[in-house]
Amino acid sequence: MSANLVETDNFEQIRDRVRKLPFELEKYRELLLANVIMLGEIPAPTFHEQERIHLLEQRFNECGLQNCSIDEKGNGAAIIPGKRGDTTILLTAHADTPFPASLDHTLTLEPDRIVGPGIADNSLGIAVLATLPTMLEGLGIRLSSDILLMGAVKSLNEGNQEGLRFFLSNAERPITAALAVEGVQLGRLNYRSRASLGGEIACVADNAHEEVSALDVLNQIIYRLRKIHLPQESETRLILGYIEGGVTYKTPARKARLKFQLSSDSDQTIIDITEKIDSVIHELSKEYRVNIDFNIIARTRYGGLDPQHFLVLQARRVLTTLGIHPGSNAYSSVISGFVENEIPAMCVGITTGENLNYPDERIDISPIMKGVAQLIGLLLSIDGGCCAGHQ
Amino acid sequence: MIEEKEKRGLTISLCIPTLNEEKTIGKEVVLFKSELVDRYPLLDEIAVIDSGSTDRTIEVAASFGASVYLSADILPQMGFKRGKGENLWKAIYQLQGDIIVYVDADIKNIHPRFVYGLVAPLIYRPEIKYVKAFYDRPLALSKEIRPSGGGRVTEILVRPLFSLFFPELTAIIQPLSGEYAVRREILERIPFPVGYGVETSHLIDVYDGWGIEAFAQTDLDKRVHRHQATRDLGKMSFGILRTFLKRLKSKGIIKDLPELTPFLRQFQAREDHYEQIIHEIVEEERPPMIEVPEYRARRGLE
Repeated sequence: MSANLVETDNFEQIRDRVRKLPFELEKYRELLLANVIMLGEIPAPTFHEQERIHLLEQRFNECGLQNCSIDEKGNGAAIIPGKRGDTTILLTAHADTPFPASLDHTLTLEPDRIVGPGIADNSLGIAVLATLPTMLEGLGIRLSSDILLMGAVKSLNEGNQEGLRFFLSNAERPITAALAVEGVQLGRLNYRSRASLGGEIACVADNAHEEVSALDVLNQIIYRLRKIHLPQESETRLILGYIEGGVTYKTPARKARLKFQLSSDSDQTIIDITEKIDSVIHELSKEYRVNIDFNIIARTRYGGLDPQHFLVLQARRVLTTLGIHPGSNAYSSVISGFVENEIPAMCVGITTGENLNYPDERIDISPIMKGVAQLIGLLLSIDGGCCAGHQ
Repeated sequence: MIEEKEKRGLTISLCIPTLNEEKTIGKEVVLFKSELVDRYPLLDEIAVIDSGSTDRTIEVAASFGASVYLSADILPQMGFKRGKGENLWKAIYQLQGDIIVYVDADIKNIHPRFVYGLVAPLIYRPEIKYVKAFYDRPLALSKEIRPSGGGRVTEILVRPLFSLFFPELTAIIQPLSGEYAVRREILERIPFPVGYGVETSHLIDVYDGWGIEAFAQTDLDKRVHRHQATRDLGKMSFGILRTFLKRLKSKGIIKDLPELTPFLRQFQAREDHYEQIIHEIVEEERPPMIEVPEYRARRGLE
């Protein structure tokens, strides 16, 4: 599909509308910031997002949305009814953050930025969901399609996108396309997912009988993992991301744990390498006479939209219209759930920020409305038919 | 609550007194304006009254939509005195509400409840005049006793003094909390110490004039704010004690009080010797606003 086919009268109308949006949206800045603070100061570690979802649900109800509900997994959803309502666009953001509830979640609002844990990933994203109905109503924008807003729970790490996967596989209405909202970075345009596996290897040595340190065993496991051939033609990578073990320097460690991610452009490669990891663990378990458990904590599938898909081309145009430089990385694990359900989907960021996933995570305020404008531009594009028949 | 407020024809002003609060003022203004002016119109006015901040407090508050006043610009003919009590007193002149809510600017975990929790008793109960905040957030309730949550100055100084001289006022759980809502008819009739003693004197004067029945208290759950050094609490205690003794004398509870020095003496250790530090803490007082001719003229009073 060539790019110039997208240059229709329809897009010209959208482009004219989108250009004005950042300015028009400025009057909603305080409303959005208040929602960011109120939602963001509620701790929402993965598997414990209920309180945050309840506030989101309250916001949906206050906006008079339809079908406000919390499903059995804890996802909070509501519908902005369209003029025709014969198609549905899903707009989703994950509600959880990687920070424990015990951490002080107080956010600091400065004139040009907000600082605090989880502000970028993903309190801003969830606050955009909470504020968008008011913005669209105020701007007089009503789509033909219904917009299904959904705050997803149990997304990060061991959550393995459980909430989103449940929602998509049980959705009662067909979803035309989906947009996933992340706080940062503005310009990201993810529409593909790599095959991946998040794994945890836990080693337990029984020191009552052997003076074996679980750390020695883990060291051997790492050595052997690094010996596994990773096919470069499928850009296969192994990231060792987290390690812990032992209680003191004086005694052999009884327990040790490693978390890693294996990713590839081939689902089959992931399956093949997983089998090799199983063999390594089996052999070392026998050799050292220790218990080694290998658990899969997250999985994603390879797939997504073609770079020439109408939605991707249209998205690039929307971003360019707003002066946002589209990023070159098409991949994000967020897309996997949609790939599994064959739903055209894209993930975008709302603003710029830094220190992601650290307690002093921060976002810039001034680009936010450009990020929201981009989102509305994409909604208008999808509503205008850019996903019809081009999956 | 808003329906009841409108039914009773009440107007409500929020006053945030500030002095170098650039880190927290933006969040307070955004939350209160968005939630309690735009979304739920409970507040008719949000005003920041500043004592002369040298940081970006004024710029930040104004950028997020608050009305910002310099304390020195209000009633300039009466001069300017540095202190939180001065800002609270001048708010009575500057703001329009029948109810004024005071909320400190240094609260990190600010939430709309800090306002609606305080004004609700005044909206629903005409006999209530003065609503004070307290903070209690037990993680689990059992039959065991737990601390009331009062600060160090409350427990070491104010509560013992109240126990001795105004036992009924010990019912106020956190007498020094900086968050309270008061009817104008009360505020304009009480004097205002400009410094540390303002909260303590309010309680004594309102109790003296309207009785313990005039008070209500609201549990605002939790307040996260700056931790103050013990030395600073010493200065606070000195100011409160001066105000307290002055009240005892004016009410005839004690008679032969010597002239009180404004100088607090503290020690600090440096290497192998101690050195004395002398702080001058002047607890000046502003008269009841209703006695100020400019106020009477502004409010159309005889």
